[in-house]
Amino acid sequence: MAETERHICGISGGKDSSALAVYLRGKVADMEYFFCDTGAELPETYEYLTRLEVLLGQPIVRLNAERGFDHWFEVFRGTLPSPQMRWCTRNMKIKPIEAWIGDEPAVSYVAIRADEANRKGYISTKPNIKSRFPFVEDGIDRDGVMRILEDAGIGLPSYYEWRTRSGCYFCFYQRKAEWVGLADRHPELFERAVAIEQKVLQDAGVGGDADFGDQAMRGRSYTWSGGESLPQLHARRDEILRKHRDALAHSRRSRQNVPLLESLADALDEDDDMTPCTVCAL
Amino acid sequence: MATLSVSVAVRARFARSANLERDSGRSEPFDGYLVTGRAVDMIERLTRAALTGPAGGAWSVTGPYGSGKSSLALLLDAAFGPDRSLRSTALDRIAEASPAVAENVLQAHDRHRTRRTGFQRGVVTAQREPVAQTLLRALHAAVLGAWGRIPSAREFPASRLLREALRHAQAPELRRNGPASSTIVEIARSLAERAPLLLIVDEFGKCLEAVPDDGGADPYVLQQLAEAGQGGGLPIFLVTLQHLSFHDYLFHADASRRREWAKVQGRFDDVSYAESARQARVLVGSVFDVRDAALLHRIRSHARRYSDALSRLGIAEGTDAEVLASCYPLHPLAALVLPELCSRYGQHERTLFAFLAGADPASAASFLKVQDLPERGPLPSVGLDAVYDYFVGGAAISNLALSQSSRWQQIATRLRDIHGLSPRQTVLAKSIAVLNLVSTGGATRASREVLALALPEPEEDLAALGTRGVITYRTFADEYRIWQGADTDLRRLLDEAHERLQHRSLTDILSGMEPPRPVVAARHSAQNHVLRVFARRYVDGGDAGDPLDPFSPYDGEVLLQAGAEIPRLPAPRPGAKPVIAASPQSVTELDRAAREAAAVAAVLDDPDVGRDAVARAELEERLAQARTEFDRAFNNAFRTESCRWTMRGDPSGDRTLTAGRGSAPLSEAADLAYPSTPVVRNEMLNRTELTSQGTKARRLLLEAMIERAAEPDLGFDGHGPEMAMYRSFLKDTGLHRTGSETEEPEFREPSSESLKPAWELVQQAFRDARTTRVNVRSLYGALRSPPIGMKAGVIPVLLTAALLARRDDVAIYEHGTFKPLLTADLLERLVRNPAHFEIKHFASNTGARRQVVAALAQRLGAAGGSPRYRVATVVAVVGRLVSAVRRLDRFTLRTRDLDAGALAARDVLVAAVEPDRLLFEALPQAFGFPPVGASARNYPDADTYAQAVTAALEELSGKPDRLLAELLALLLESSAETSRQGVSAQAASLQGQVLEPDTRAFVLTLANDAAESDHDWIRAVATVVARKAPSEWADEDVVRFRLELPHRVAAFQRLAALHADGGGALDALRVILTRPDGSEHVRWVGVDGNERSEAENALDAAVARLARVTGSSQRAHRVLLALLGERLLPVPPEAEGPSPRNARRATNG
Repeated sequence: MAETERHICGISGGKDSSALAVYLRGKVADMEYFFCDTGAELPETYEYLTRLEVLLGQPIVRLNAERGFDHWFEVFRGTLPSPQMRWCTRNMKIKPIEAWIGDEPAVSYVAIRADEANRKGYISTKPNIKSRFPFVEDGIDRDGVMRILEDAGIGLPSYYEWRTRSGCYFCFYQRKAEWVGLADRHPELFERAVAIEQKVLQDAGVGGDADFGDQAMRGRSYTWSGGESLPQLHARRDEILRKHRDALAHSRRSRQNVPLLESLADALDEDDDMTPCTVCAL
Repeated sequence: MATLSVSVAVRARFARSANLERDSGRSEPFDGYLVTGRAVDMIERLTRAALTGPAGGAWSVTGPYGSGKSSLALLLDAAFGPDRSLRSTALDRIAEASPAVAENVLQAHDRHRTRRTGFQRGVVTAQREPVAQTLLRALHAAVLGAWGRIPSAREFPASRLLREALRHAQAPELRRNGPASSTIVEIARSLAERAPLLLIVDEFGKCLEAVPDDGGADPYVLQQLAEAGQGGGLPIFLVTLQHLSFHDYLFHADASRRREWAKVQGRFDDVSYAESARQARVLVGSVFDVRDAALLHRIRSHARRYSDALSRLGIAEGTDAEVLASCYPLHPLAALVLPELCSRYGQHERTLFAFLAGADPASAASFLKVQDLPERGPLPSVGLDAVYDYFVGGAAISNLALSQSSRWQQIATRLRDIHGLSPRQTVLAKSIAVLNLVSTGGATRASREVLALALPEPEEDLAALGTRGVITYRTFADEYRIWQGADTDLRRLLDEAHERLQHRSLTDILSGMEPPRPVVAARHSAQNHVLRVFARRYVDGGDAGDPLDPFSPYDGEVLLQAGAEIPRLPAPRPGAKPVIAASPQSVTELDRAAREAAAVAAVLDDPDVGRDAVARAELEERLAQARTEFDRAFNNAFRTESCRWTMRGDPSGDRTLTAGRGSAPLSEAADLAYPSTPVVRNEMLNRTELTSQGTKARRLLLEAMIERAAEPDLGFDGHGPEMAMYRSFLKDTGLHRTGSETEEPEFREPSSESLKPAWELVQQAFRDARTTRVNVRSLYGALRSPPIGMKAGVIPVLLTAALLARRDDVAIYEHGTFKPLLTADLLERLVRNPAHFEIKHFASNTGARRQVVAALAQRLGAAGGSPRYRVATVVAVVGRLVSAVRRLDRFTLRTRDLDAGALAARDVLVAAVEPDRLLFEALPQAFGFPPVGASARNYPDADTYAQAVTAALEELSGKPDRLLAELLALLLESSAETSRQGVSAQAASLQGQVLEPDTRAFVLTLANDAAESDHDWIRAVATVVARKAPSEWADEDVVRFRLELPHRVAAFQRLAALHADGGGALDALRVILTRPDGSEHVRWVGVDGNERSEAENALDAAVARLARVTGSSQRAHRVLLALLGERLLPVPPEAEGPSPRNARRATNG
């Protein structure tokens, strides 16, 4: 029984799961690393994954490569995912993972750190999957994770400069300052997100855009970020950044000697308190 | 103590409805008959006419149900008939009310010398028939009454006419319009010349109701007859009895017809037969006969008390103490409300008398029988609560006009559901209920003062009822209510709504209603295993518009003709869905019902009604009823048998369909329109919209078609729905089967005959796609239209089978982009948005192009994917090429470091849009070959070209490995090693040492001996150095790596030397400089022998000079060290803070 058990480790493109992958390198025989590709990840994430693959010396299985966001956007005829209708998580994360794992017994290694033991990652409800938490077991905290990444020479994914987590570029759990960051760093992706908000898939093919404006959910206007459309949000760029800096400063003042990354996360967490997509942020 | 019945008797009064035919000639109906004022009035009018002139007259008597009209007819019949005893009974009754009128009747007989013979009388009850027909029956009856038979022409000149008319009445067509009006008038004249003629038509409204239906009835027959009996004419007395005025019966007829009838009624003397409430109370008073003078005295004083109180309250109807007294045992309040209650909710007097004299235990008569009469004190009486018990609680009134019943229902339901009231509270609640029912906002309402008359000192109990929520006090109306209170005048609103609707056409009104439900062409559907559904809509005459869209879920359309003209059907064109017109014989009934429903619905939208919950409830009830009525009328009008069904066929003109039964005409139309429907024996698949289970099964089926085409049964086993779909549509039809030349099954032309037209249509679309791309949606449209008429759910399966069968020469484009592979995800999108997809057929090439394709196919190993298409095709070759490019990493896609051919080929392949342009123009040109002309016979360069393509692909696909090889060589060269093991060994010596992080990562990667190959190893090293994987590199990254690597290697080697036991440069020092922020900078410093003495001299001099300032040479050493350290450090990124506070000195070992 035990010898047929699979060992799997999901990688989100974030620092914790990447560190876990590095940490487990050589420790678990026949480890399978996987990444659920939405087809809409940040370029930084894809680049980081390739780096990680090289370091691990083995490929990271890309799940879902055929049916990414653009596919489902077409299938759902322009119906956008939202916290109420999170078809993205269901179709692009959970379903492909469960299909890939199948019904064989498997041990899933989950990157929850020792200092956040009460966080919930994607823990499958499938009975054939056992979860293990090596960082919790070995007492590895945030500093430990950073050390692992430094030692491996891989460092942090570069999106950490402006964003706190991996995931789709248009993730609706993004903070307003992160949207501004997207507009600054990846204007073309921001523009694409603006189009999607209007139910248009830009450059779907040589033929141009795929416009679903008169299809499903006609007349319903949904915005990625609460209360305003992306162009409206972008018009408030300076205001958002000012508030963001204020929050950051406030957070720094209240906590001494906090690493930048942490204070950034804390500050960002203050402007809204939505539960992030746990699978994306695995 | 005796019961009241000892002192108070009830005069039996008729309390049942009369029937003319049954009761004519009998005296029983007159037992206890009370001739009321209005009856006397009518008799007087008739007798006056009979007395004054030779002529007669015409009267139309209009009064509500149950008001005794039929009894009046009987009374007239008896009073003017020949039967003396019957006549004297009738005259006795008339004399009771008015002896003068009775006397006049006798004088009228004398004037016409009919004391013995009586008038000739034709008394009939009308039916839904033409007026002339009714009159004919009346005249026939008069003739039979006079002669007992139809006499000879000698005795009666009009007898031939009468016989003929009666014979015609047997024939249905002639019966439709009745006998000619001249015939009727002639017979009537003939009779009237003999003796006075009295014609009485009861229920005349039925004739009027029939008027719009038949359309042809001549209203003038009545006018002519009336005129014949007027002025200087003959003694013809014509009496019609009806519930409504002529005009009201004809409300729904068109305006001109209503005007005609208004003119007719103008010839009649209109007699209103409604009794006033006061007269009704007089009637009530006549029922009870108080035989005890002492009691009568008590009653009178009792009545006076109440009349005083009522007049103080301003209730004028209650001020006549005499009338109130005559109504005893009714309580004055009961006497006050009863007439109104009966006329509003019941059948007038009939209901009233049933309550007063009937045998029901709750009736007044029963009250008298059981109620004791106390010697003194208040008189017991039938109060409002008893009225409630009889009318609301009991079953006495079951025949309420539903439109008015909602207030009634609400009150009844409310009181029925409340339990545990004290007797006084019960009396009070019921009294309020009855007052609510009759209240119209006047003084007769459930005010505290009025209620105090029903029950002395009601305040406490009113409060209790209020607390329990049984009643509410409405301040604005000064009224207690059980009924929540609709204050809206619905009747007025409805009348106004009808008025507004009059100007709108029926089609217009119908279009505002719920659209008619689609219908299934049942027989066609059953025979063809397909659900054929026709949409229906209303049309006026005129242009019917276009046929349904191919993507409509319906297979055709039925135009329901609501106007007078037959609609102009659209001209037939190929592929158009059928359009059928249904022309009903008559829409009169539908028109009436639609207007009523529309009027009620419109009033329901009225803002006043919106605020009035009760009015709304009442209207909703009424709307439901109106809709039921409408549905019935709709079904009658558009019943298959009663319509003419037309379909626009070929250009020769419209075609009338056989009406038959049920949906027969639709099936006939479907037969004509859809002769080529494939038989799909799977109901889950063969429908327009699949269920979610069906969608899933179809998805599994499509996936299996793509992925397991070569497996028997597509690899399905068991009996799942996808297996059922497979068997019925793919296997049994031969779409998926083995051929003679193959072992494995594959998709091919179906063997099923029924599927062939659809298959051929798809093949034709493929052929059409040779010249221009064909949009998949248009193909869907063609398959869904006549003559195929396939259901949307099946089409993706058929199309996928066809595409797979032709996968090597039919290419698919999504959003204009060529898709080399038909994949499951692509199909998933295609099913959802066929409009985003196009197909193009790459016809088998000839000549030059064929040579090129063959050469490429051979080189690329891309013979036709399917054994049936062994000839290599453009699509197959391009599929290989595009797939090869797709597999390239980003470095290879970006680098310029390739040979010219590969570079050009790559750029062309990446930008390729059209397979044939790629293969025959762009790609040859990239290698410097001429384009391959479409009509060229020969292409001498075919093989060289193919060779160049394969070489370029090899160059491209080998690029990543070549890059890694180059990087590896560079590393080995820099480290002066010959193998990676050598480098790893050096690095391994540093493991476990405290190293600066960047160096540490580099060292650890070098030391990694777990890497399976040199390339894995160098890839990791390159990634650490460039912080980016080589597959993601650009050419600049290679340059940067070349520059940086030697430095990294040198540093690493020095470090390795330093750490090596006993080895390394003896003079080397490692200086670590630490900034206050904790960042460290390491420098290796060493002094070689030549410089050493010179340097030591300079240092000694400097220390000596400085010691004079610092005071000690030791201090001078430190200051110098600090300053040197500061100079050695790189400029910090944020130039701030003090200079390094200390420098640590370390030696090797």
